[in-house]
Amino acid sequence: MSALLAMDKVRGGYGDADILLGVSLVVAPREIVVIVGPNGAGKSTAMKAVFGLLKVRGGSILVEGRDITGLATNRIVEAGVCYVPQVDNVFREMTVHENLEMGAFLRKGDLSAAYDRVYALFPDLKERQKALAGNLSGGQRQMVAMGRALMLEPKILLLDEPTAGLSPKYMEQIFQICRDVRDSGVAILLVEQHAKQALAFADRGYVLAQGANRHEGTGAELLADREVAEMFLGG
Amino acid sequence: MLDLINFYLVPGIVLGSIYALGAVGITLVFAILRYAHLAHGDLATLGAFLALAVVSAIGLPVYAALPVAMIVTAGVAVGVDRLFYDYLRERPKIVTVMASLGVALMIRSLVQVIWGVDAESYTRGISRPENWWGIRLKDREIATVAVMIGLVLALQLFLLRTKWGKAMRAMSDNPDLALLSGIDNRKVVTLTWIIVGGLCAASGYFLGLNTELKSLMGWQMLLPMFAAAILGGVGRIEGAVIGGLVVGIAEELSVLVLPSEYKAAMAFAILLVMLLVRPTGLLRGKVL
Amino acid sequence: MEWIGLLNYAVFMAIFIGIYALLAIGLNIQWGFTGLFNAGIAGFFAVGAYVSAILTSPYAEGRIGGFEMPVVIGWLGAMVAAGAIAWPIGKVCLRFRSDYLAIATIGVAEIIRLVIKSEDWLTNSARGITDIPRPFGDLPYVQSQLAYLAIVAAVLLAAYLLVERQIASPWGRMMRAIRDNETAARAMGKDVPFRRLEAFVFGAALMGLGGALFAHLNRAITPEAIDPMVATFLVWIMLILGGSGNNRGAILGVAVVWIIWSMSEILTDRLPAEMAVKAKYIRVFLIGLMLQLVLRFRPEGILPERQREAEISTDSAK
Repeated sequence: MSALLAMDKVRGGYGDADILLGVSLVVAPREIVVIVGPNGAGKSTAMKAVFGLLKVRGGSILVEGRDITGLATNRIVEAGVCYVPQVDNVFREMTVHENLEMGAFLRKGDLSAAYDRVYALFPDLKERQKALAGNLSGGQRQMVAMGRALMLEPKILLLDEPTAGLSPKYMEQIFQICRDVRDSGVAILLVEQHAKQALAFADRGYVLAQGANRHEGTGAELLADREVAEMFLGG
Repeated sequence: MLDLINFYLVPGIVLGSIYALGAVGITLVFAILRYAHLAHGDLATLGAFLALAVVSAIGLPVYAALPVAMIVTAGVAVGVDRLFYDYLRERPKIVTVMASLGVALMIRSLVQVIWGVDAESYTRGISRPENWWGIRLKDREIATVAVMIGLVLALQLFLLRTKWGKAMRAMSDNPDLALLSGIDNRKVVTLTWIIVGGLCAASGYFLGLNTELKSLMGWQMLLPMFAAAILGGVGRIEGAVIGGLVVGIAEELSVLVLPSEYKAAMAFAILLVMLLVRPTGLLRGKVL
Repeated sequence: MEWIGLLNYAVFMAIFIGIYALLAIGLNIQWGFTGLFNAGIAGFFAVGAYVSAILTSPYAEGRIGGFEMPVVIGWLGAMVAAGAIAWPIGKVCLRFRSDYLAIATIGVAEIIRLVIKSEDWLTNSARGITDIPRPFGDLPYVQSQLAYLAIVAAVLLAAYLLVERQIASPWGRMMRAIRDNETAARAMGKDVPFRRLEAFVFGAALMGLGGALFAHLNRAITPEAIDPMVATFLVWIMLILGGSGNNRGAILGVAVVWIIWSMSEILTDRLPAEMAVKAKYIRVFLIGLMLQLVLRFRPEGILPERQREAEISTDSAK
């Protein structure tokens, strides 16, 4: 399996203390990979490590075999990795369309194909192009955030708890969009609180605990694992 | 009624337009760079005196001096940022506020060394107002308001329609996300200072044109300009314009109830009242 | 005799250093320990100077006064008045980030300047207040100067010890916690705005006291006695250069900056009149540049804030 993204024994944290104590994971092209685990396990931190938002003190992060550990954020974006933060992930005082435009800031030339692609994935947004992102519902905002990230046509999309605070209906919708995005050729790595639902829909999953890998496998395997079920999924 | 307009409202709108030009700059720095720029007034002083240099040394017409002064002041503003503010980026923003107080003092003393401390003016002689159905307006007063409106409209168009204008709004809206989107922070900062420097120069120039040039002229505008920016709502261009006009008119009207020495106290009163009752300003701006 | 002149000059300098040190400690409480930006130091200084002058000076035609109270009452009054002006400003502005306080204090200083310049009945405007009593002012010049130096030194020492004790106490620890991590301090249930208000008022009171000491030294106070921007800025550069968060650093910074400032004045005064005026502004320019250089190359100052051993061990024990 040729890895699109590979983290190998990554250690690091924000200040002097390490939060990640050795996280390894692999994402293959056209794959949805989910990271689950209890609060404080370092799920979001692992994702931020990829994006260079914390100090990585050990291990390596490769994108298509190229080491991106410690690169500046815009370099990582150029390498084809886009990141959607959990909160504050839209420009609230700009329209939906302008949000997408900012997402494509680094691109030159005609963007109409990129807009068409995003609006095809999110028909709701097409109707609300001129609305201010801050006035949309939580689920719609999440779509704007994902749409913004997709404008750069990344190879892999990192989503930090995309369904946090959303109703079950929206959660299903976001998951469906994730599948559509994958089918359009973009791999997805996401962090999820709703472990059961996420494992059910993802191709593969990693269970983190206390900053390190605990279990890994296909979604179905993990769901069937007794220990995983007891420890992290609440039975 | 006409007296009220001629003696209070017209001067108030003119003064308000001058404040508005400065307040728009203050609100941009507040929103995009996220600190209070205390050298704003003295940068306006510098712009006014640069225009004077253009008029007296090169002999350009008074109105032609404005664009020249705006361009040079924009360059100075970018230079000040590179030399004194840029390297403080990673430190708490209040340190940059302190640096800007130092820059204010430096610019002022530079003006005092080069041009002295005596009052100067662009033109000699008295300009006569024209009578428009009983309202007396001088050319320079019309020019002040017209240029203010023109500059603000141009700025709004730039922010709403162009890629880099939108990038400035994005940086103001959500700086982290702007960086994640690959927007070049340094270019946005430079662009901001070019605009802010130009607006500062225009503000100082029109104050000099309508009154006279003094080395403390800009410093004394600092408080009204901040009051205007906060009154309008930090980050709101149109708010800064409304705020500037309100403060300008309030200062002129204050003479009706307060001794004229306390005109300057009006801006301070507005500032405190706004912070007390509605810190987001009239148009819901940011609160830092 | 040349050396007597030098000695006199040294004593004079020392008195000024003592007064500025009081201002710097006041600012240190606000900025160094609490992170509050006060750009109106000169305003609080002026309030202190005028209040003490009014309370203690003899009757004069055309202005309020003639209370002839003891000097100590004047000084206390100066502290109370400066603190009382700081209180409402702090109350309104401390809910926000320090930028707003910076702007508001510039405004306060400006208003105070306007009042002093225009309110005849209160401050005698441009003519100022004269005949302010000076402790031991009846002694011959040298002894009188020395006595005043002793008083200033005693006041400074008292302020220093008081502030040091406060800083070492749980109160000081809390203030630093608030400064360094407001969110965490708030989460622990600290009344952050009120603590800040305390620090702001306390610091302003010390600045008022500094103003009073200045007025009684000169026996007179006029609106032109201090240039508000330059005075405010001098105190800032003194504190930053010396080391904010460290009172000894603040005092050292005062000495260094004041000596440079006065020496440069002696130099520029010897220039021909036309150049001397320009040189005055060049000095101001250089002091502004000095701040930029300190911020860039030695932001912690000459004597950085001390890491407090006890605090570190208790923090890690938690």
